[in-house]
Amino acid sequence: MSHPPESLYLPKVAVLDRVVDEIAEVKTFYWHFEDPAEQAAFKRFRPGQFAQVSIFGVGEFPASLPPSPTEDETFFTIRRVGSCTEALHALKPGDRFGVRGPYGNGFPMEEYEGRNLVFVAGGIGLIPLRSCIIYAMAHRERYGRIQIFYGARTPRDLMYLPDLKRWEQAAGIECYLTVDRPDETWRGHVGVVGSLFRKPDVRMAVENTTAFVCGPPIMFRFVIQDLKGMGFEDRHIVSTLERYMKCGVGKCGHCCIGVAYVCVDGPVFTYEQIRKLGEEI
Amino acid sequence: MRARLIHQDDLPRLVARLRRDYEVVAPFRGRGRDTAFEVVTDRNQDQLALHLPNPVYPPKRYALPHIERLLRIRRTDGGYDLQPAYDETPRAIFGIRSCDLAGILHLDSFYLGRDFRDDHYARRRRNLFLVNVVCTDVEEDIDENCFCVCTDTGPAAREGFDLQLMDLGQGEWMVVAGSPAGEKLLEEPFFRRGGPEHIRRRRAILTGVRAQFKDMTSWFAATVRYVSRGKVLESTWQEIGRRCLECGGCTYLCPACTCFTVSDRQTGPDTWERVRLWDACALSGFTRMAGGHNPRKAVHDRRNRRFFRKLAHYFIQRELSMACVGCGRCVDTCHGDIGMPSVVEMIRRATVMEETRHVPSA
Repeated sequence: MSHPPESLYLPKVAVLDRVVDEIAEVKTFYWHFEDPAEQAAFKRFRPGQFAQVSIFGVGEFPASLPPSPTEDETFFTIRRVGSCTEALHALKPGDRFGVRGPYGNGFPMEEYEGRNLVFVAGGIGLIPLRSCIIYAMAHRERYGRIQIFYGARTPRDLMYLPDLKRWEQAAGIECYLTVDRPDETWRGHVGVVGSLFRKPDVRMAVENTTAFVCGPPIMFRFVIQDLKGMGFEDRHIVSTLERYMKCGVGKCGHCCIGVAYVCVDGPVFTYEQIRKLGEEI
Repeated sequence: MRARLIHQDDLPRLVARLRRDYEVVAPFRGRGRDTAFEVVTDRNQDQLALHLPNPVYPPKRYALPHIERLLRIRRTDGGYDLQPAYDETPRAIFGIRSCDLAGILHLDSFYLGRDFRDDHYARRRRNLFLVNVVCTDVEEDIDENCFCVCTDTGPAAREGFDLQLMDLGQGEWMVVAGSPAGEKLLEEPFFRRGGPEHIRRRRAILTGVRAQFKDMTSWFAATVRYVSRGKVLESTWQEIGRRCLECGGCTYLCPACTCFTVSDRQTGPDTWERVRLWDACALSGFTRMAGGHNPRKAVHDRRNRRFFRKLAHYFIQRELSMACVGCGRCVDTCHGDIGMPSVVEMIRRATVMEETRHVPSA
């Protein structure tokens, strides 16, 4: 088996270009590698893969790759939640940090060709699905219907607003938004994301359809119930799992669930696989 | 494999020969039954012994150090300079037991196999020369918690060593070469040829030693089956979990455990090093994510994890060896008596009882 000539754990230095506020505590960090060759190599990532982000002197953490390889820019969308993400949030444009990857299996986009795609995201669960959505839209002719269902706690918790606006207006895709608690500005649907499936104007794709579900555990459980009730088979429901990870390459042992290492066997799993992991997710 | 004989009095010459090419580490006596691997030096080489209790702190650390530098990080003008760190010291372990050798072979298939090859491990390992010693002294080498015969790893390793030493009594030791590097050493003048009589003695001694393990047998096969098929009752895991004091001792002493965590530490005003440190699935922080969510909260889930990882058929097939080498260190260290043999026994007993519960007695 071929192997890289250098350390598995050696990050490459990246430069922070700009920072965009998404929602409270969540920002999008646009970056590029110092070395253009690295940038070119990295751009071969697949939707659903992830990378290890290093803040030197603080540590390293796994992060989803929300951009699609069909887009020009590379970026992470990161919630400030621990010491490393705190340090990332403190960086200014021009500052350096480290990235290694991409890692993980990613979504098998070829397998979905000819099928309808239903995306169901809750809160920051949209981050790992964004790549897949943009990729499918860039190759629109390869896929059947595309439906996006996205729910957040409040209107202020809706992420990727420019994308959402575009998706709502784009021809050939359906995008439905909802919030649990509306404010005075909100004119849209109110309720959990699953309540969108039952809206009178929504005709859910079920036959020949793959559903992508990402969001908090409670949302995940209810959405799975809804989808199964509509007739979705477990093998056509897809999600990405997140775990504490230290290496990203199947060695450190932290992300192992049952027999699967989330970093190399995942993070994308079908619900059929998830059920067989043998541990709570 | 070629074999030779060496006289007991010539063993120091073998060590001296190794020291020409390698940093040699060997077990030394401390107080009482305490022993530890240390670097052989001019000052301590007289105290070398091959029959002594196997050190509690396993020689695994010469393949996978307890704390290992992965990266040197230096802040430069407006950037960072990153240099991977490797240890390529030629090193020989003189007197590694068959169980600990099996542990290193298990680490080999884990760290060098699958999709990603760990270069830090590979480079260190490439420079490691292993002199295995067969446990033959039932007073010193073997204790009541050893169970290598059940894990098929001892008392005499079949592969993976460069040289293997075995005490045939009467001052004679048999030396088997297990690698080209080992064979090359057999050309040294202090080795001589043996005969069929020595092979007979080797066989007789090994048969005698194996018989010493009769009080310490584990029914691994059945337990592997139960664990792999998910037949172990939740109540059994809970019972095992109730006994766990969450000290992590079993994991830190295990020659076959592979998990690590990674940490950055400052070494100067503008320099840091990134190190990896052994980590333990027994500890609750092992799966805790930033923000506090912990998918594996309960103690018994973590115990389940450890034994599943070691006993599930899937992993045994993947690494071609079970992640338990029968050294008995987890038995020695566990305050709750849930070392591997106890767990194997608890699982077997509870599962068999459950399976036969509904069978009416004759």
